[in-house]
Amino acid sequence: MIVPPRKRFGPLLLIAPAAILLGVFLVLPYLNIVVMSFRMPGQGTPYGPGFTLGNYGKFFSDFFYVQQVINTLWIGFLTTFICLVLGYPVAWQLARGASTFRALGYALVLSPLLVGIVIRSYGWTILLGNNGIINRTLTGWGLIDGPLPLMYNALGIIIALVHVFLPFMILPIMSAIQGIDPSLEAAARSLGASKVTSFRRITLPLSLPGIQAGCILVFVLSLSAYVTPSLIGGLRVKTMAVTVVDALIDTFQWPFGSALALMLSVTGAIFVVIFGRLTVMKWKA
Amino acid sequence: MTEVSIEKLTKDYGQGPAVNSISIRIAEGEFISLLGPSGCGKTTTLKMIAGFEDATEGAIRFDGRDVVHVPVEKRDIGMVFQNYALFPHMTVEKNLAFGLEMRKLPKDEIRTRIAKVLDMVQLTGYSERYPRQLSGGQQQRVALARALVIEPKILLLDEPLANLDAKLREEMRVFIRDLQRRVGITTVYVTHDQAEAMTMSDRVVVMFGGRIAQIGTPSDIYERPANLEVAEFVGQVNIIRGKVGNRVVSTAFGDVPVSGDFADGAELMLALRPEAVELLPINSGATGAPAKVLSSYYSGSLVDYRLELATGAVVNVQTFPRTRFADGDQVLVHAPSDRFWPLGIVA
Amino acid sequence: MSKPFFTVYCLIIYAFLLAPIAVVVIASFNAGAFLTFPPQGLSFRWYLVFFNNEVFMRAIRTSLWIATLTMVISGIIGTMAAMFYVTHAGKLKETVRVAMLAPLLLPEVLTAISLLFFVYSVGLGTQNLVGMIVGHVLITLPFVFINVSASMESYDPAWSLAAQSLGAGRFTRFRRIMLPLIKPGVIGGCLFAFIISFDVFTISFMLKGVGMSTLPIQLFDYLRTNFTPEAAAVSTCSIVLTMAVVVISEKVLGLRIHRF
Repeated sequence: MIVPPRKRFGPLLLIAPAAILLGVFLVLPYLNIVVMSFRMPGQGTPYGPGFTLGNYGKFFSDFFYVQQVINTLWIGFLTTFICLVLGYPVAWQLARGASTFRALGYALVLSPLLVGIVIRSYGWTILLGNNGIINRTLTGWGLIDGPLPLMYNALGIIIALVHVFLPFMILPIMSAIQGIDPSLEAAARSLGASKVTSFRRITLPLSLPGIQAGCILVFVLSLSAYVTPSLIGGLRVKTMAVTVVDALIDTFQWPFGSALALMLSVTGAIFVVIFGRLTVMKWKA
Repeated sequence: MTEVSIEKLTKDYGQGPAVNSISIRIAEGEFISLLGPSGCGKTTTLKMIAGFEDATEGAIRFDGRDVVHVPVEKRDIGMVFQNYALFPHMTVEKNLAFGLEMRKLPKDEIRTRIAKVLDMVQLTGYSERYPRQLSGGQQQRVALARALVIEPKILLLDEPLANLDAKLREEMRVFIRDLQRRVGITTVYVTHDQAEAMTMSDRVVVMFGGRIAQIGTPSDIYERPANLEVAEFVGQVNIIRGKVGNRVVSTAFGDVPVSGDFADGAELMLALRPEAVELLPINSGATGAPAKVLSSYYSGSLVDYRLELATGAVVNVQTFPRTRFADGDQVLVHAPSDRFWPLGIVA
Repeated sequence: MSKPFFTVYCLIIYAFLLAPIAVVVIASFNAGAFLTFPPQGLSFRWYLVFFNNEVFMRAIRTSLWIATLTMVISGIIGTMAAMFYVTHAGKLKETVRVAMLAPLLLPEVLTAISLLFFVYSVGLGTQNLVGMIVGHVLITLPFVFINVSASMESYDPAWSLAAQSLGAGRFTRFRRIMLPLIKPGVIGGCLFAFIISFDVFTISFMLKGVGMSTLPIQLFDYLRTNFTPEAAAVSTCSIVLTMAVVVISEKVLGLRIHRF
């Protein structure tokens, strides 16, 4: 007997609130910001009537902004690279190490995520400031004469960003390594590979999807980070996100601010796509 | 070709021995199976031969050389894993080349060896495929090829057929056995499937609780099991009890002569395989024990009967379906006295 | 790499991860007027200053109020979406997942800016809490979704069919089959949404009305001009609060919260 399919709208009611929320308050605002970037700057109002390409023109003609995008990208690259180098061994230990260490290590990696970003950045100002713990300790031991410039520069921003985003690098790599069948490493050993070779030829390439995910995550997050650069960088070193927010909050230049924000996002997205292309994995379905 | 000798090998994880002082001598080119239920220590034994587990005590010798302290990668073994463990990020060719590259063979030799082994496992033309693009049986053959292409001293297989469906499993049994004979490599095969162990092996090592219960040819194991446990693990069996008197055991099937030292009056257990007996109509006039058919199960080539003897004991019998009996029929069970095998005295 | 070297390396990384948080906590007990290290004696004086600082106390009340509201709304919407995702999404499964995780994958600062322009464009403005709450719900929704759908990971539609074959109606099936399964996920997701909402900065910073302030915003403003240990006392209380939520949910309620 063939039963005609009954049309059921019931289940759709489950997804409706989320769909409306995301549609109205995420999709529309993102479309709106694109439109905003083509609007005329306003006189005393956030934006004026009519449309223009002038905001993008201003961006490209002023080397200050281009330089700032380059700086921001550079900070993003370095942060991502350092996170990868520091995080990989930890991810490996969390995935394959002795079980006593694993639970504790996992909690230690996750706990910074539960502490607000303002507080974590504040912690770094206590550590890195001219009168901070590191400089005082080093001076106290007579290792340096004056304070090292650890804060209000790119170095300080990168240190703090690495700290803030390291868990986002460790966790995807950890789950990628956990997903590798240990018998693959055993098979490599049985075929004559040493532990090091087996890691280099089997474990490392198979954890690439995790590395890829972690790198993209950290890179994107560090490009758009606002709190950390503005607290650690102060007024001296500004990243693009800080400039954008300042342009919007302090000077009310909405159209230009939108153009800046989109330029940063687009450049970031281009790098992510290039990175994705370069690390494409043929063996994956 | 390599002779493997295992002496008093023990593995203890700290909660009593998982493998308890076992000794096996494996001849050059011999195919030997480690058979037993899960947790009997067969896989641990294989891992110790491979070098993945350290032996707590004992020796493992390849051609007389103790390899206990030799790391896995220097033992020169070929191993096939239960889930094949093919490297997913490498093509078939790269998988096969891996072990050869570790041995630093020249490129053209690697190429010829791969071509040869692909031909051997009938996978010529598949070298550029990734493992996920192969069927289960093909992956299995690549795993086998990868272990053999390095021309190892010994071949170790850990339940390699467990993940295949029934039909493919039977094909692969024959395939692996033929290949092993052709290559002539000393082979250790771990399985919990008694049919696999019986059909493929020169000799079978039956293990229970970390100890060896019996080592013997498949027919030794089946027809002359060392004890009740082995008899019940390998195939179906009827346990017939009877009192010893004057070198014979009197059973429901008549007197069965026994060799061996059994005191008069002791109660003995005898193994009787279901297919070792013949069922006859009750009025055929032959000798045998009368019985009633309780139920029968037809499976095409064979019929299984459950019978109740006059003593009330139940026996299982397997026959060809030439003559069929219905439930409730009276039949005569004829069991030749040489088909009984003494398993020991009832404790 | 040798084993002890490797272990030490990991311990250094863990220390690096904990250092700035530990420093804040230790600094909050400093008896001196400035952030010095090691502290000049132990004291709770900065906690007293903090508890008597009406600006901070108001900010905490605002944060708790927003976090509670966010948790409830996000919890309901996210749970419903996760149920749809697991049981009814069908071919749309991947689309639904990506859409639900989008607020997590998009740069927070960009989301905040877009939302700010949007609430002005449609005339809502920032003086009512609508923009702020919507922003918080957007940011926390993925966490509720992840936790609830993870708790249904092993959900087999056949269970519902089995219950139906045994005579259970639609509501009974939800109450007896679905609810016990997702309860830990819902509670875990909601608690996590609470924490995220309590800690979130950029969204709040862009969408706050004039004169309104959440705890992270107040702290951020304070830190731009002041360096007394009062900020450390505020931070420590905030850390203790979120840690308490996690410890209670994981140890007392035995929940496993999924962060990703």
